Amino acid sequence: MHYNGDFLNLRGAGLQELAPHGGINHKGDFLDLLRYAKYPLKIELPPETARHGADVEIAHSTTVVAVLYRDGVMIAGDRRATAGTSVIYDRAEKVLQIDRHSALAISGSPAIAYEIARILEHSFQYFRRSQLQELSLEGKLRMLSRLIRENLSMALQGIGGVIPIFALYDLNAADDGNGGKIFFYDALGAHFENVDFATTGSGSIWIRGVLRYLSRFGETALHEMDQRQAAIAILRLLDIASEYDAATSGYNAKVKIFPTLKTVTRTGVNTVSDDDLAAWYAEAQPNVEE
Amino acid sequence: MRDEPYRWIEAIQDRRDYIEDELRLGSPVVGVTYDEGMMLLTVSKGQRKIFEVHDRIALSAIGHPADIERLRMLVTDTASVQGFQNATEDINLHRLTNYTLAPAFKQAFESIAGEAYIIKMLLAELGSTSGKNQFTGINFDGIVRTDPSFAVIAGTETIETGMQKYLTATKTDADRDLTTAFQLALETWAIGKELSSREPEEAESEDAQLETQQIYQIIDTAREEGEIEAGVLEASQQGTSKFRLLTSQQIEDALS
Repeated sequence: MHYNGDFLNLRGAGLQELAPHGGINHKGDFLDLLRYAKYPLKIELPPETARHGADVEIAHSTTVVAVLYRDGVMIAGDRRATAGTSVIYDRAEKVLQIDRHSALAISGSPAIAYEIARILEHSFQYFRRSQLQELSLEGKLRMLSRLIRENLSMALQGIGGVIPIFALYDLNAADDGNGGKIFFYDALGAHFENVDFATTGSGSIWIRGVLRYLSRFGETALHEMDQRQAAIAILRLLDIASEYDAATSGYNAKVKIFPTLKTVTRTGVNTVSDDDLAAWYAEAQPNVEE
Repeated sequence: MRDEPYRWIEAIQDRRDYIEDELRLGSPVVGVTYDEGMMLLTVSKGQRKIFEVHDRIALSAIGHPADIERLRMLVTDTASVQGFQNATEDINLHRLTNYTLAPAFKQAFESIAGEAYIIKMLLAELGSTSGKNQFTGINFDGIVRTDPSFAVIAGTETIETGMQKYLTATKTDADRDLTTAFQLALETWAIGKELSSREPEEAESEDAQLETQQIYQIIDTAREEGEIEAGVLEASQQGTSKFRLLTSQQIEDALS
């Protein structure tokens, strides 16, 4: 008997095995559920293809950045995807909304990163639907840790490492406080809260110092900036990264491709529109000739 | 027992009587549409009865809480996994009811040696651009009924018929707003509540002709023991999930 219309699964496990008598998964754990349905969470590689871990450079070919500003978190990424020294795509979305109050910026292997983002999104929804309450902030962070750790073997083989930045808005924050939170992950899945900013990807080394400078000595401290000021700062930072890092794209004036900017605030996740970006980009680059 | 067909049929009939008896006093659930979506409404006592299954699908049921929970998880798990493996747009209520729920209902009902599900379920699916809104009711024996504009589940068919009569007689436009839909659903619920409190013979013979005042008396009494629960699927809802429960404040506002 096979009812889910999945051709790959024709001879394998069917969903009808989610037995009505079983009571298999009342923890609201989506990963358990996927395992039960025999969804391959890992890509199995033959051992002889395993490379030695020492020469692995995990975060590559991207610049993503998140800053805490007055209303919450602004999280952004450039649009370039590369393979070796070739640019293969210039409209990649590296900042993904996960639920109403969280967004993930990815650096590293896109295939794994998109899969992680998708599992994360579905996990939060599954928890809410099955357990009749939202997953807590700490629970959300742990889930992402688990996914990154699951992916460790791929990361060690140098083909599937992912280092994300996770931005959330904590609705439990006081009404007049800032509930914006930025978390940075390492390859083993440990998460660290970054108070003011976080950046990752190959271009990040060129702008981390600038971020520190802005945060510490800037005319307006990062966390006091309004949306426009934060956006201009981020556009400038991504521009700097694209100057020095071949795998990071700047603003493409010919076809009007802007970086992706999203805000994570009490009202939810919003994408900054191209019109706003065009106006702010003009302000951010006063000396650029049209 | 299977080699004795007559006894099997008798056992099924006994089982049907038993389940209907258990369900008779259940708090009915009403499903109506309004200009921006669909609503499921009931009055519950402590246990939550209206649930989100998937992006565009909501569920409600009457019956034994353990059975409701088990079948709710079955359909939620199935939808979650399939929505992940393919795309969430590929989940539809027709497949969930006909391939997942109805067979489970029927099998449990007819396996006379095993436990029966004491349950009636009502699901709502908000149509996407291609599909239409749909209410689907599943009886404990696995019989599925669908309707695009309204549906009720209650302890017995007689009660359901009485409620449906009220719904069709109280003709308001299909593009009613949320408040009107809420009131219509609540009044229909009260009709069902009244019918379920009568003796079975009485409920059958009499028409549920109640004055508005009587209806609101029933509602007031019910609110002392339980609380109104209403869930909506709304196309304008931000994000992919279209379900939300009305807050107690929104319910108060709709009542006044």
